[in-house]
Amino acid sequence: MNDWLLRVRNLTKIYGEPDGGTIDRTGPRASTNICSQTGAIVACADISFDLYPGEVLGVVGESGSGKSTLVQLLYFDQEATAGEVLLQAVEEGNANLLTLSGQRKRYLRNHLLGMVYQNPRDGLNLNFSAGGNIAEKLIMAGQMHVGKMRERSLHLLAQTEVPTQRMDQTPRTFSGGMQQRVQISKAIANNPPLLFLDEVTSGLDVSVQAKVLDMIRQLQADLGISMIVVSHDLGVIRMLTDRTIVLKHGRIVETGLTDQILQDPQHPYTQLLVSSLL
Amino acid sequence: MIENTRLQTSYNFGFIDESTKKEIRRKLLKAVAIPGYQVPYSSPEMPIARGWGTGGLHVTLSLIQKQDLLKVIDQGSDASVNACSIRQFVQRMTGCEVTTDTAAATLIQTRHRIPEEILTEKQILVFQVPQPEVLRPVERLENRTRQMHAEADYARMWVSLYESFVRYGSLMRGAGYPVKVNGRYLMSPSPIPRWDVPNLSHAKCLYLFGAGREKRIYAVPPHTLVEPLEFEDVRFRVEDWGGLNCSYSGQGDAFLDEIYDAAGVRKFVVNDSNFLDKLRTGEPRPPQRLFRESQ
Amino acid sequence: MTMVLEVQGLQKTFELHIRGGKRVHALAGIDFAIREGEVLGLAGKSGSGKSTVMKCVYRTYLSSSGHMLFHSANGERLDLAAASEHEVLAIRRREMTYCSQFLQVIPRVPALDIVMEPMLRRGVDRLDAARQVRHVFERLSLPQELWDAFPATFSGGEQQRVNIARAIVTNPRLLLLDEPTASLDVESKQAVIEMINELRAQGTSMLVITHDEYTMRKLAERRLLLSDGKIAEAIYA
Repeated sequence: MNDWLLRVRNLTKIYGEPDGGTIDRTGPRASTNICSQTGAIVACADISFDLYPGEVLGVVGESGSGKSTLVQLLYFDQEATAGEVLLQAVEEGNANLLTLSGQRKRYLRNHLLGMVYQNPRDGLNLNFSAGGNIAEKLIMAGQMHVGKMRERSLHLLAQTEVPTQRMDQTPRTFSGGMQQRVQISKAIANNPPLLFLDEVTSGLDVSVQAKVLDMIRQLQADLGISMIVVSHDLGVIRMLTDRTIVLKHGRIVETGLTDQILQDPQHPYTQLLVSSLL
Repeated sequence: MIENTRLQTSYNFGFIDESTKKEIRRKLLKAVAIPGYQVPYSSPEMPIARGWGTGGLHVTLSLIQKQDLLKVIDQGSDASVNACSIRQFVQRMTGCEVTTDTAAATLIQTRHRIPEEILTEKQILVFQVPQPEVLRPVERLENRTRQMHAEADYARMWVSLYESFVRYGSLMRGAGYPVKVNGRYLMSPSPIPRWDVPNLSHAKCLYLFGAGREKRIYAVPPHTLVEPLEFEDVRFRVEDWGGLNCSYSGQGDAFLDEIYDAAGVRKFVVNDSNFLDKLRTGEPRPPQRLFRESQ
Repeated sequence: MTMVLEVQGLQKTFELHIRGGKRVHALAGIDFAIREGEVLGLAGKSGSGKSTVMKCVYRTYLSSSGHMLFHSANGERLDLAAASEHEVLAIRRREMTYCSQFLQVIPRVPALDIVMEPMLRRGVDRLDAARQVRHVFERLSLPQELWDAFPATFSGGEQQRVNIARAIVTNPRLLLLDEPTASLDVESKQAVIEMINELRAQGTSMLVITHDEYTMRKLAERRLLLSDGKIAEAIYA
């Protein structure tokens, strides 16, 4: 079946100088990310999964699980140590994106990918207006018409329930939840087929969290974007995702349909996580 | 008076020593080969302080020959203090002839203006540049601006123009408007007025830019495309004089200075002093490149 | 008649690692088949494994062994026990719907939108979907003022009707119903049974769990009595 959107095989990120045994000395069985012999840190290793169009994949794990590293590698914020990442849209899935030039990676980021960070400061330029931030993404994708850009910005801000009269104000003056919504508008501005969300509601008040999650659900239903949602919060995973992978110490310990992971977890660690749900 | 004739130290031709001149020329060649790209160079010590035109001097002194005819202007004027100092310094260091006539000069050093009169393939214009990094207003880290240039990652510059349009209704930059050279590098043309920017594109002469304090050299070779940044629906425009004419020559279609005379009356005067002189003598108007809309 | 679901040797054992690896044997080996337009009832005491069977079929539970062959409308067969997550999601989206005992309350989404969601996912036009959903709500006698309200505040019966509506509008090939009439009054029960029978007439097959004898008699032409994770007997209406 060749209708997958994203294919990841053996994605690995190691800091430091590993040797041949580093990967075996780390991981969930060893209960550590740090190689006892070399001091190298295995942020994640042997991560493999497929993602299909319109699907939402949850990535759940605690600190040190490697979940944030995973999306940073996929968004080219960091360089992988090893592995393969294939996108159907790039040479029909035959090109390993990790080996592409910096310029090609940036082209992919601007045209095919979107990313929403936990901290809005990482995804927004607070010196520009909200509309300017969205325009930046549009300009990176080749849009050069101010009128059309402003129209699109208005549309996106309305979709994410940001008051459109604040379009020309800088997000520095916005609340945390609204900053996140501007970030989301920016991330979907050029209609990417794939969107990464990295702990997007973790810093927000509970009521604000709810609003943002609702909005993401709505957007996903309306636009059919494929998403990878990183969260330590199983409630978020339950709300947003179809499938889930569970990470521990940089490895996948379990993968399955989200309702199955939550109701019939197999791996001891997953059972522990699920039973810890408040 | 006892003259010390034994330890007479005389300066090298052009003040700068020959190996340094060679280095600067090599960098100039590289700059011409990659239009708009900032080439780092040694920026040797000069007898004037940084920020007073050392970069322009470096380029001029590396290129100048005995038979060159040198002109130096500062904000369009041959008579300003700094233009005079620089001109006298170069003359003393080389023994070359100097002139105020734009058409006659072979090498022109300028601060913040391009002469109104058209320049030919026999002429070189050397700009003094305060801040060569066109991206500095949107990115303060040097290693990031270098990466942005390498990857042609210029979106932020466009956004800053978008922001000024949204805030002020036009693409505001009065001086130093960002341009794209040869379809590749974004460049700061030094703080020349918008009026001069279209003159950079497809010129017959060679444009060289020296930034001494920042230690960068860049160039726009003849017949090179230079495009001011603009949007499809919001275009670059030069200053609109609204039909104003120069009070002294009675003519328009040149960059005008706004001055107040001794009686406190507001007047407009052609900024380029040599051009103004020629207009006032009644000679036929010197040829210019005039641009109504951006090219 | 065409086969829709063939279950062979379905076994399910839960291994509770946080309880020191304790094993719970929920299903000991279940076999049954459902054909097009058939309704199969599952009866038995609490804890006999009825919901477990249903959840295994829907893949909410991972079966320990056995096969569950699903026959798609286009003739393809898929073993739900061994299928990939992507394949199961595709089946769930197009052909198999699970109507659980309790409405999975998605907070802050109005009833209308909850029921429209699966239709929109399949590409049905928004206005069309809204019209169809309102029609179903009318038939289920759901008060109009509740249509734009949040189901979290509804009574049990009202929530259940939203749940059923959501299952009905998907028009699935196989419908899994877990206690569909549990919290309903007599009229609503009738309405629900009517709508389910209409679906069955259109060719939908069903697996129904219910304690209510009346509902079971009205819906299921055949029922399986479960006891201790095994089929004790098969009863024909």
